[in-house]
Amino acid sequence: MQGSTTSGAFVFESRAIEPGPSVLYEEHVKRTAKSHISAFAGYLMPLWYSSIAEEHRAVREKAGLFDCTHMGVLEVTEADAGAFLDLVTTNEVSSMKAGRARYGYILDAAGNVLDDIIVYRRGQSNFMVVVNAANEPKIKSYIRELIDGRAVVDTQDSAWAAKLPDLDVAVWDMRDPNRPQDRRVDLALQGPASIETLARLTNDPSALKRIADLKSFALVEEQLSGIDCLICRTGYTGSTVGFELFVDPEEAPRLWNLILDVGELLGVVPCGLGARDSLRIEAGLPLYGHELDGKFNISPFEAGYGWAVKLDKEFFIGNAAMKRIAATYSMEVARIEWPGTKGIRPIRQDDAVLNARGVCVGWVLSSAKVEEKQYSLAYVDRNTTREGTKLGVYYLARSLAQVQQGRKERVEKGTRLEADLTGAVSARFPKF
Amino acid sequence: MAVKDGLRYTKDHEWIKVEGDAGTIGITDYAQEQLGEIVFVELPQVGKEFASHKEISVVESSKAAGDVYCPVAGKVTAVNSALESKPELVNEDCYGAGWICKLKVTDKKAADSLMDAKKYEEYLKTL
Repeated sequence: MQGSTTSGAFVFESRAIEPGPSVLYEEHVKRTAKSHISAFAGYLMPLWYSSIAEEHRAVREKAGLFDCTHMGVLEVTEADAGAFLDLVTTNEVSSMKAGRARYGYILDAAGNVLDDIIVYRRGQSNFMVVVNAANEPKIKSYIRELIDGRAVVDTQDSAWAAKLPDLDVAVWDMRDPNRPQDRRVDLALQGPASIETLARLTNDPSALKRIADLKSFALVEEQLSGIDCLICRTGYTGSTVGFELFVDPEEAPRLWNLILDVGELLGVVPCGLGARDSLRIEAGLPLYGHELDGKFNISPFEAGYGWAVKLDKEFFIGNAAMKRIAATYSMEVARIEWPGTKGIRPIRQDDAVLNARGVCVGWVLSSAKVEEKQYSLAYVDRNTTREGTKLGVYYLARSLAQVQQGRKERVEKGTRLEADLTGAVSARFPKF
Repeated sequence: MAVKDGLRYTKDHEWIKVEGDAGTIGITDYAQEQLGEIVFVELPQVGKEFASHKEISVVESSKAAGDVYCPVAGKVTAVNSALESKPELVNEDCYGAGWICKLKVTDKKAADSLMDAKKYEEYLKTL
């Protein structure tokens, strides 16, 4: 079924589609083998160009360029755009100044996370909302149902539901090729050499100053080599210096190539999905379906983002559930660092996390190798997440032979086991 | 799907190259493609003996893992430690640099009952 259930949960059945090229597909084929290109969220995307480790290192030391054109970009306009976003997202939107962006969540009325998003304010009645590629059809459907008055808004009080369809708001798909103007797709340039790279694409010293002076989560509109760009100091790698560039899809290939050309001597490289994942894991950042929602239905509070849920707003969809969870949650996401030496078996999602006494306190959500170490994001008891706490990991059986040798295929909390590897809780959100 | 001449093959997609009583084993192109990007190879202990069909290694990709069965009985004489830092060698060159281990084969004739390249190629068509 589709639509809202009586509990307020929003149910959406994604249609399986044949994956298609992004606007940068031809560029990817020029720079990497077709065997490195894989289906992701309906798009054919490169997993890596040179190697995941090299691309990861480049972002930490120089800069990397990511094809984020598959991400959904929605425009929310008209007089009540801010009020609408205040109702539909967890963070405060109306209080944002133009030229600023905020991270937050879209929830359904039952409090399930439907997506994590960034809202960018371009003007008084003009917002841009960037959503995960995998969630775009669901979010578009949800917003349509809200505006049409068909989705459940509040399980306790129908007064808010009545307000929504009356709001003066319009929502547009900014990637729609039929949109007459101001079409936007996302390219991300992340790492210490980002500003120097962008500097080589403008002759205008005042434009360059505006770009270089951008504070975190601020945005400006400038021209880069004659291409209109929305330049936002946001990103998904944990880099303190990094930008998301929103441009017309027809200009995206030209900008992609320009950045890599002028950036070559600065050490800028194209980066695929593999490095994107290892970078965001190293930085402690959540991936929807793993550290948010997913099999444990992880909430923003458990993910470490309670600050993006403004419980003192008069109302937002899902706020009753958020208030309950904020007061009672007992598990949370921790970032664990594991020592490495050559030949250590990689940790993977679902492996059991053990406390110092060998008792299972949770499970791995995501894990990545970075240089010789491994970093995991794990869903564990809150009382085990203090920085420095020693934790162990038990590898679940990976193959039939391991099952036959007695290795478990799943582990319940409270089970006592011998750790295969020991590590420690590390800083939750390191910056690079 | 590459199948190399001069090797012997098992139904579980292992290959063995026999020279006298020395055997080198690995997994085939079909196996490495099925697994995807290989991230870990569990190497056996040097000196350990394995019966035919006994699990001698596990090859892991990011989402799956495959047991590697010893094609013929023997004792491990060497392991490919390059795979500790570059497990992807199994994807890149499964019949060459991606070899897993070497054995002193107990019965030199045992490999003769395994499929040759042509038979393995025909076998692949049935899958």
